[in-house]
Amino acid sequence: MERASVLSAIEQALTEVLERPVTGLTDDIRLFEDLHLDSTSILELLMALEDAVGISVDPEDLDMEDFRSVGSLTGYVLSQQATSEV
Amino acid sequence: MTSGTAYTADLKEALTGDRATRLVWLCNFEVENQWARDYPGLPAARVSTTAATVQRMEELGALLAEPADYLLLDRPLDEGYRRYVERLGLGVPTELVTRAPAGAGGTSQAVLDSPELLDRLRQLALDGARLMPMGNSLLEQRICELTGLPAAVPQPAVYERVNSKIYSRRLAAELGLREVPGFCCTTVAELRGAVGQGLADGGPLIVKDAYGVSGKGLLVLDSAAKGERLLRMVDRRAQKNGDDAIHVVVERFLPKRFDLNYQFTIDRDGKTRLDFVKEAITAGGVHLGHVMPPDLSPAHLDELARAVDLLGARLHQDGFFGVVGVDALLGADDLLYPVLEINARLNMSSYQGRVTERFLRPGGTALAKHYPLRLTEPLPFERIADALGDLAREPAEGTGLVVTCFGTVNAQSGAGGPFEGRLYTVLFAGDREQLGVLDDRVARSLDRLNTPERTP
Repeated sequence: MERASVLSAIEQALTEVLERPVTGLTDDIRLFEDLHLDSTSILELLMALEDAVGISVDPEDLDMEDFRSVGSLTGYVLSQQATSEV
Repeated sequence: MTSGTAYTADLKEALTGDRATRLVWLCNFEVENQWARDYPGLPAARVSTTAATVQRMEELGALLAEPADYLLLDRPLDEGYRRYVERLGLGVPTELVTRAPAGAGGTSQAVLDSPELLDRLRQLALDGARLMPMGNSLLEQRICELTGLPAAVPQPAVYERVNSKIYSRRLAAELGLREVPGFCCTTVAELRGAVGQGLADGGPLIVKDAYGVSGKGLLVLDSAAKGERLLRMVDRRAQKNGDDAIHVVVERFLPKRFDLNYQFTIDRDGKTRLDFVKEAITAGGVHLGHVMPPDLSPAHLDELARAVDLLGARLHQDGFFGVVGVDALLGADDLLYPVLEINARLNMSSYQGRVTERFLRPGGTALAKHYPLRLTEPLPFERIADALGDLAREPAEGTGLVVTCFGTVNAQSGAGGPFEGRLYTVLFAGDREQLGVLDDRVARSLDRLNTPERTP
C-alpha cells in the first residue's frame, strides 16, 4: 500500500473513532494536541487500522514518537506493512 | 491567617487520632499505575497524553493542606498563585520541592532522588510529622522507610487489594448492593466469555482495567466486530507472553439520569461518616463537572447512607481506613446503583473539601469543573487573574469562584505549538440557575486567552 492509501485509511479509521468526518489530513497534524486523541481512542484507532490496512499491531511496542503526528503514524503503518510482507 | 475550617482537621483526627497532626502531603495522582503492575489490563501503547497535566495536579494539595503542614512538589507553586491562595484566607502549607522535576516515577521517585529533601523529611519525622500520600504504594513506603516518617494511611498491600474494580464488583455483590450487570475477568478466556455473553444480552459494553484511572484503560464495545478486534489483540499478547492474564471488568452501559460521586471517611476504629455526595453534570455526553448538592430524593440519600455503612464496615474489616470515594449512578428508571467503583484513596473531590466548607453557604450550590484553554505560550497566574477580573476575588455572600489548580494551565506547554491547558475551579452560587450564569461568565472571561484551533 502506498503512502497516500495509508493516509486515506488513517482518515477513515479516525472518522470511525472520533465519530465525525476527518478529511484533509497532512503529515504535520498532531494526534494529541490537534486531533485530541487520548489513550482510549488510540487503542480504538489501532484496532480499526488493523482491519483497514491488514497489519498486526502490538500496542505495547509503540511509543510516544509513533503517535507524534499523522506523518509519524503513517510511517509506522508503512513499516509494519513492510514487516508483514517479508 | 487561620481558615476556620474543620474538614482537614477532621480528616487528621480520623487518620491519626489528633486534629493537630502535621502532615507532609504527597498528592500522587495515578498511584493506580503502581498498584496495577502485577495486573495486566487492556493492551496499551506507552503513551500518556495527560502525564504532564496529571503531574501538576499535585498542586491541588495546596488548598487541602493546612498552613502548618508541608506539601511535596516537583516544582514550586507559581508565586502569583501562591499569593492568590493566601488571599483566600485558607493559608498555604510550606512547599518542599524535589531536586529535579519528576520523571515517570512521579514526585515520589523524585523525592527518593533528592538527598537534601530526605534529610529534611527525617527532621520532620523527629518533630512528629506523618506522610500523607493520596494513596500508598511501594514508592511512598520507601520514603517512609528512608526518613522515619510514619504513614498516616494503611499499607500499600491494603490499597492494592481494595482499589481493584474487580474488588468493587465482588464487594457490591457480597453486600447485596444493586450491581450494574457485568463480569469480572482475570483471563483471556473469561474475557471472551464475558464479551460474548454481554453482547448477546444487549450492548454496548464497557471494558475497564481493574486499576484504570482518569478515563484511561477503558474501551467501549458497541458491536461484535469491535469485540473480535479486541479479543484478537489480547489473544496475540497472551501467546507472545505465554500468559493469558487480563484483569478487567466488563459492564453494560445503563441508561442513566446522571452519575454520582460520594465520599466517606473511615477512622482507625472503623467508624464511618459520609462526607458529601455530588452529581455529575453533562451536556451532549460531555462531562462538565460535579455539582452539589445532588438532585436526589430523601429515599435515594437513605439508600446511599446504608451503602456507606456497609462499605465502610467491610473495607475496615479488610484493613482499610481513611478517605473513600465511590462512583455511583442513578438509572433512567430512577434506580440507584450505589457502587460503580470504589476509589479508596483521596479523590479529586477530596481536594475541594476545605474550599467548599469555607465558601458554600447553607442552601447554596457549588460546581467543580475545569476550563480548557487553548494557548500558544505559558501564562503567569496574573494573566488568568486579569482575564477573570473581579471573579479573581474570593467568593462573597456564597457567590464566586476559586481557582483550585493553576499549574495545569501550562503543563502541556512543551508540546511545540498550541497546547491545551486546564484551569481547575470550584464555582459557588445561590442556586443552579445562578451557577449556570456564573459558569457562562467565567467561560467568556477566559475565552479572551484562547487561540483559534484548526480542526482537520
